[in-house]
Amino acid sequence: MNSTATNLVETYQFDDDEQDALREVVNIAMGRAGASLAQILDTFVRLSVPFVHIAGVTEVSGAIGDMLGQETNVIAVRQAFYNSLRGEAIIIFDRKGSRALAGLMGYDKRTDGYIEQEVLLDVSNVLVGACLGGIADQFDMQLSYYAPAIMFEGGSVDDLLKEDRVPWTHALLLEIEFEVEGSGINCHMVILTPEESIGLIREQLHTILESI
Amino acid sequence: MPHVPYNPKLLSAIVDRINVGVFVVDRDMHVLVWNYFMESHSGRPAEKVVGHDLFEAFPELPKKWLERKIRSVFILRNFAFTSWEHRPYLFRFRHNRPITGGADYMHQSCTFQPILAQNGEVEAVCVSIFDVTDTSMYHNRLQATLAELREMSFCDELTGLFNRRHIEHHLQREFHRFKRYGSALSLLMFDVDEFKAINDIHGHLVGDEILREVAKRAQSCVRGTDFVGRYGGEEFVVVLTNTRCKGAMVLAERIRVAIGSTPVECDQAKVPVTVSVGVAEAEAAAMQRHEALIQCADTALYESKRAGKNCVTIYDEHPNAANG
Repeated sequence: MNSTATNLVETYQFDDDEQDALREVVNIAMGRAGASLAQILDTFVRLSVPFVHIAGVTEVSGAIGDMLGQETNVIAVRQAFYNSLRGEAIIIFDRKGSRALAGLMGYDKRTDGYIEQEVLLDVSNVLVGACLGGIADQFDMQLSYYAPAIMFEGGSVDDLLKEDRVPWTHALLLEIEFEVEGSGINCHMVILTPEESIGLIREQLHTILESI
Repeated sequence: MPHVPYNPKLLSAIVDRINVGVFVVDRDMHVLVWNYFMESHSGRPAEKVVGHDLFEAFPELPKKWLERKIRSVFILRNFAFTSWEHRPYLFRFRHNRPITGGADYMHQSCTFQPILAQNGEVEAVCVSIFDVTDTSMYHNRLQATLAELREMSFCDELTGLFNRRHIEHHLQREFHRFKRYGSALSLLMFDVDEFKAINDIHGHLVGDEILREVAKRAQSCVRGTDFVGRYGGEEFVVVLTNTRCKGAMVLAERIRVAIGSTPVECDQAKVPVTVSVGVAEAEAAAMQRHEALIQCADTALYESKRAGKNCVTIYDEHPNAANG
């Protein structure tokens, strides 16, 4: 990590300008994610206004919990990314929605658990790739991805992150909600990047702010 | 460190020889690159594949699915992945376990990577195929072991019925439900009559065979929602949800007759077997915990024994037992 990044990480929180710029970057990326998803699902996809926040480790699982309410039957997919930025994206589906998704993707109606999983992984991969790809493009960065995998199935969201087992103290938390119109399908995506990437993002935001 | 000049030939030689399948297709699904791994596993040299339509060269490929996958990379300019867990293999390649076996074909996980042209459009898709046969076999072995452990922790080895721990856990859960929602709950407890004498006369192997047969006959009498368990030795329990005492009595009688009407055939002997049954229904006022219900069924079972065995007794609230 270079020394500029280290210094920037000292003050984790973004100021208002940085926050605005980041929200704008994410909005553009989200538009692209929505368009990509609409393209493979052949239907309209509604996106929430993204929530962007630097969160301490204790806040993150609480924030995810708040976002989902008391959902207890969820499937979570995890996908890691690396290269200029490092982090993990977690996409949370409720079980009912995940079945509807398989139908929408043109898989036949038989409720094969493996097909359902494959669809969830495909959709997650599209969302993560489009959203992060959109952010990376604007920052002129390269990103690579690991294969998505089912992280967690059929439990409560409280079990998603175990505070004592994560190696970071602060992370950039990006929350987005997708809803496939008229299908009852909605999912939540959380993108988390640890401290070192926050510094890099801040540098890129300054480059953008200076160019306006 | 000696300076090694960048050599594109070296890089392509590595891509060719790396122990990962690499091939590239263009928008028309024509193959542009076919590395050594692909050559040696498919038995088709690059010159026979490059320039040809992938699906014409390999008609056995799952065309609809694979084409959609590759197209999505062209359209979305995004990586795509497949896992052996959902589709064990793409190509029917032989695996590296010709001796130890255990799989039909090489299990494969694949990465689909967009190759961008100068103008930012995707001009080709590079597919990397990883041999994950060993990983998948370890994974499957682990899953099988976990399933076995789960079964062992739930089931009684001799009879295949639920074991005492599990049936008690189930009863406890149902008792909570009964307490909260007031849905009816009954418990049967039955015991093979004169089991010690049977063991002494015919030996333990016959005794075991009789327990297995009793379990089988009892299981065949119950509904799908009823839980039968071996409580210990020659003692069994049946947890009946949404069932009042009267219904439990009917079932108890059916089990008694199913076991007692036909002798158990084992080891060339026909051994007549009878059971005594105790029936109890959960009562909110009298019972605080599920153990109280077990206690009542046990008391009724004892009454059946005292009344001469091979019969059913319903627990009759006794002044001393009324306090749960």
